[in-house]
Amino acid sequence: MTIALTPIQQMVREARLIVTAGTGGVGKTTTAAALALQGALAGRRTAVLTIDPARRLANALGLDAFMGRAQKVPTALFTAAGLAPPAELSAMMLDMRATADEMVRRYAPNAEAAARIVSNPYYQAFSTSLAGTQEYMAVEQVADLLESGEFDLVVLDTPPATHALDFLDAPERLLNALDNRAINWLYRPKEATTRDPGYGARLLGKGRQMVFKSLNKFTGGPFFEDLATFLQAFSSLFEAFRVSSRAVQALLRAESTQFLVVTAPYPATVREAINFRAQLVERGFPFGGFICNRVHLPMTPTTAAELRPALVAAGVASGLVPPLAEDLAGLVGDHDRMADRDALSLADLAEVAGPALQVVPLLPEDVHDLRGLVQVGDWLLGRRGAG
Amino acid sequence: MDRRFVLVTGKGGVGKSTVTALLAAASAAAGRRTLVCELNTQERIPGLFGRAPSGPRVTSIAENLWSVNIEPAAALEEYALMKLRFKAVYSLVFENPLVQRFVGMVPGMNDLLLLGKAFNHERERVPPGDDRGRLAWDCVIIDAPATGHGVTFFRLPKVILEHVPVGNMHDEAKGMWDLLTDPARTAVHLVTLPEELPVQETLELHATLSTQLGMPMGALWLNQVPPTWGTAETRAAAAALPRPAEGTALSAAWTVAQIRRQREAQATRYAAQLASLGMPMRHLPVMYRRDFDHGVLMELLAAARTQGTP
Repeated sequence: MTIALTPIQQMVREARLIVTAGTGGVGKTTTAAALALQGALAGRRTAVLTIDPARRLANALGLDAFMGRAQKVPTALFTAAGLAPPAELSAMMLDMRATADEMVRRYAPNAEAAARIVSNPYYQAFSTSLAGTQEYMAVEQVADLLESGEFDLVVLDTPPATHALDFLDAPERLLNALDNRAINWLYRPKEATTRDPGYGARLLGKGRQMVFKSLNKFTGGPFFEDLATFLQAFSSLFEAFRVSSRAVQALLRAESTQFLVVTAPYPATVREAINFRAQLVERGFPFGGFICNRVHLPMTPTTAAELRPALVAAGVASGLVPPLAEDLAGLVGDHDRMADRDALSLADLAEVAGPALQVVPLLPEDVHDLRGLVQVGDWLLGRRGAG
Repeated sequence: MDRRFVLVTGKGGVGKSTVTALLAAASAAAGRRTLVCELNTQERIPGLFGRAPSGPRVTSIAENLWSVNIEPAAALEEYALMKLRFKAVYSLVFENPLVQRFVGMVPGMNDLLLLGKAFNHERERVPPGDDRGRLAWDCVIIDAPATGHGVTFFRLPKVILEHVPVGNMHDEAKGMWDLLTDPARTAVHLVTLPEELPVQETLELHATLSTQLGMPMGALWLNQVPPTWGTAETRAAAAALPRPAEGTALSAAWTVAQIRRQREAQATRYAAQLASLGMPMRHLPVMYRRDFDHGVLMELLAAARTQGTP
């Protein structure tokens, strides 16, 4: 007898790369860690790459510093949680500040050029906000992990994005942004200006000077000029970067890659998730399903009258039975209203995704240990559920 | 609430827009001409007042209350026209595709334009351009970008001051930085949830904005706090109930009560941790409603008022 696997069960067994994506505050990191743990429990050598996890979750995985490489989750932690995964689980935290430096080191033609860029004051001021560098490096790390041959499955937790596709557009944007043409037109490198530019170029040169002057008037100083010098140095990295960026784009679109859109059942958040999925599909990224966290599962409605005999049977002092029954019925009522709201949200998601939707209920506490991750994993793989 | 330049920030998804709307409603109700600025986002504020999105134009959304969604391209045009004076020069320079591309690649440029525009609203006069005219707004409230991004955002004027020694840009940045660090005019409100990651980020954010950058802080808003229920006796009795068998009448109630109790304990723990910041704290309760609309916003405002001036 064969039992049909849910899309997520299949993913954990077969995908090489799972990307968890979505807006902030919906439990992406926990979801990524829980899926990775399921991968290891299913016997696949798994790595999870997370960005800025909660400290207690990091501790649960035995991570206590940004190491810049994958670290094995210590066996002792598994043993303590009563687990014995047949394959190893590794975790890696991405240090957002270090990624830009890493990119410079990787692509600079030589160490000297790298040092020149990294010591530039503009670089220091803006390295963490250079559009897309962090996102780009995250994907690049994944490519490294997969190519190392040490892992069967890599789970990538993406940074929260207000504009959901920032993450995917980032490499492309970075390439466009650092296109040399614009900088060179405005602020030519010195060697170019010593050659006779020819009539057409001289004419163009006049327009450029005008623009140049106006920009300086606009800023009231050589701000743009200084910045251009920096961007020129930075963009020297980009031929190598361009080649590797194509490989990364191909990896994100590979058949063995699956994107999970993580969300929560709040109406605005669900709208964003549905919109995100549409954009993924439009751009040819493989959409694997929705994960909806923090769901109020429907409960059997309970009236105070029904609760009273049960409370008496449970040994509650008779004077307390009526007020306690009222209070508890009130709590169940609160919960049911939220469950109604969540049901509408889930219906919206299901309409788009069909069976590729997995629900994780609102849990009593933040997940901060391996046991908690196993529980979340059980929900994700549909081993627990309301039916 | 006496400050006229109010910024609201926090981690993504914690309810920044809700707190922004709440502060705006309180300010408008106090009779102050109030402008809410959203920064190049899918607008949330007008919807909470039952209105369609305002777009890049200042639009009235309630009595004494206006809103605007500041967009970088419009802000750039406005600012550049102010400095270059002639539309023809502006077109020649900023409508040149190569210049647009260059401006687009300047890190932080968009943020600077958004912040600059908000800054201009703060000093806007009526009639426009008349330095002796009255200030156009009694209060400008900004739904600022989420943390991480937010810190870069607030730091921008300082970065420019450090790198551009003279000129327009320096003077503008100086004006912005003076405003951002002026305790008489400015207040930065922090919004968070009683959960680990948001609390951790709030502690770090406070260290950066207040301790390191010297920005004047407003209140700390702890959102989604599970409201207390029942009496001391019923709560104790609920906590003492033995676990009922699955599927019995009591099991749903028992489970819900247990979730509530654990969430409450967690909120109490995090509130105590946040109290170490010494900021005035406002708790906003979880609202057990299907829809979050203007009515719910007003209930939250009432809840905030019981804890002091919003």
